[in-house]
Amino acid sequence: MSSDIDTLPAYGSGGDTTKGIGRWLAGFALRGGSLLAFAAVLTFFSVSAPFFFTLGNIGNVLGQSAILGVLAIGLTIVIIGGGSNVVKGGIDLSLAANLGLSAAVYATLISAGYGDSVAIPGALATGVLIGIVNAIAVVVFGIVPLLATLAVMNVVAGLELVLTQNTVVSASTDFLSVLSSYGPFDIPVLAYVLVIFTVLAGAVVQFTPLGLRLYAVGEFPEAARAAGLPVRRIVAGSYIASGLCGGLAGILSVAYLSGSTTGAGEMLLPVVVTALLSVVFSRRLVPTIGGTLLSTLLVGFLTNGFQLLNISSTLVSGIQGVLILLVVAATSLQHGKGAV
Amino acid sequence: MGENRGIGRRNLLKASLAAGATFAAANAGLLAATANAAAEEEIPSLKGKRVAISATGTDHHFDLTAYNAQIDEVKKLGGEAIAVDAQRNDTKLVSQLQTLIAQKPDALVQLLGTLTVVDPWLKRAKDAKIPVFTIDVGTPNSINNTTSDNWRIGSDLALQLVSDIGGAGNIVVFNGFYGVVPCAIRYDQLKAVIKYYPDVKIIEPELRDVIPNTVQDAFSQITAILNKYPEKGSIKAIWSAWDVPQLGATQALVAAGRTEITTYGVDGSPEVLQLLRDPNSPAAGNAAQQPEEIGRTAIRNVARYLAGQKLPRETYIPALIANKKNIEEVTKTLRLG
Repeated sequence: MSSDIDTLPAYGSGGDTTKGIGRWLAGFALRGGSLLAFAAVLTFFSVSAPFFFTLGNIGNVLGQSAILGVLAIGLTIVIIGGGSNVVKGGIDLSLAANLGLSAAVYATLISAGYGDSVAIPGALATGVLIGIVNAIAVVVFGIVPLLATLAVMNVVAGLELVLTQNTVVSASTDFLSVLSSYGPFDIPVLAYVLVIFTVLAGAVVQFTPLGLRLYAVGEFPEAARAAGLPVRRIVAGSYIASGLCGGLAGILSVAYLSGSTTGAGEMLLPVVVTALLSVVFSRRLVPTIGGTLLSTLLVGFLTNGFQLLNISSTLVSGIQGVLILLVVAATSLQHGKGAV
Repeated sequence: MGENRGIGRRNLLKASLAAGATFAAANAGLLAATANAAAEEEIPSLKGKRVAISATGTDHHFDLTAYNAQIDEVKKLGGEAIAVDAQRNDTKLVSQLQTLIAQKPDALVQLLGTLTVVDPWLKRAKDAKIPVFTIDVGTPNSINNTTSDNWRIGSDLALQLVSDIGGAGNIVVFNGFYGVVPCAIRYDQLKAVIKYYPDVKIIEPELRDVIPNTVQDAFSQITAILNKYPEKGSIKAIWSAWDVPQLGATQALVAAGRTEITTYGVDGSPEVLQLLRDPNSPAAGNAAQQPEEIGRTAIRNVARYLAGQKLPRETYIPALIANKKNIEEVTKTLRLG
């Protein structure tokens, strides 16, 4: 993983004072600005669409964000463990395809007459297997993650086509009905799933020694290796965890769509956007699980608000694009490319 | 028809439907009946009513025309339209249905969609006491479904195909959207017809049409299958349940110089009707629907229902099979481009 050394100069070089202040300002503007922007979005929609700020609608948005949120958390784990260099750092492009294949495996098993006791492990195992393939490609063969997971993405998408013949496979079980129903306070069960999953993932990544090692490996691979951390094993683990998230998201998606449908690949861009955006919602401008939840909800609220205001949702993609540009520009500035 | 001037396009349409009906004896009864029944009736107002319109996509001539016609009609009847489009993304479609249901509109109209994906949410809307209407979605959860008679479209198109190829030969079939009810009905009708023509064979495996990139994908799939069956006569015809794959297939046949093969589809998209007019094009049959009339009628049914009138389970809007011989008459009758 020596390529990750490229991310080092950002922290390694001292830089002169003016540059330091510039960076600090950029970081401050980004952090404060992003929270302000989030608040502004909420206020704007609450004022212009009275229905927006109701418990029912917020619950719906949380539920609608569950699939994206779980995938984005998977990607966040990979980015933390692989370093946030957009080109050479950790990335898992196979996540959306993973969701598609896991959902297809689940739905196919159900429609073949197997119960949830087979289909759930089947979907999760599919996700984990994809994660293992990614891990081998990246850690054992040393392929740049961007390319390795791109190749795996194509293989996985192809397998989904073979399995489903590019058709909709419907599935309904008691478990799926519970997942797609509404829970306490008339909030979708998927919303609770997202919150619980975020809390669990956040606890592991932000508050355990394992999580700390994950950050260490991502930010300072050489130092981590020197300190005796099993760098390769931790990086491999991050891809497997991400694969598991893909499998889990697959199950949620079967519940949401009453089966597996085509077009899972369209999820890729929103997942990458969400995970990259998570950076601006953290104090030190690093990817965090909590930040990912916030950026998932930002994307969810934007889509929902536009829907309520009857504005074309294609605008959401445009806004996502602008957000990415801002984030990448500001983080580059903050990491001080000029100082290298 | 001079007395119709100034009454508006839809009355003109009805008048021309009635007039045109004389040319096609088989369809005359159906068309004239629809035209007369609609012309006499007053449409109740939608004043103060919010009508939610949920479209699966608007990337295709049929969808877009029906979608816009719905919005226009809601406005014309004095109501408020909450119209959203899922851009052919099922996840988006479910979210938009959830959001629409939560807004508690006075009625919800679903335009197309894979039945197993939309039906649980239409049921949820019904359970929330929102009157559900559909276009081209056959489900017990909707009060009324406005649609073309897809059984008739399916069998008429299949009969045209079988007759064109002389009742024998291999045909290529696009069957990618069996989960969408109208497509399933048309496909089943094709199977029902060729059951009695044992010499007509569907080449296995069937092709799967896709969205998006339907035209390019159909082009490359047909090009590939032509390479697999290089002898002239080894394929007689290509069938698809809508006409965007037909467009790609027709272009592929022209590009490969295999214009002896004929193509068939459904919807009456302007591009395909244009191909039908071209005597050298392999496009041989197209079931022309009236998306504008379908969208408008669905909204009128909403208004009728909200005014307390009883509705039939299905409202059928006439469609006609256009072929190389009758294309001009059909476009004139249905007032299509």
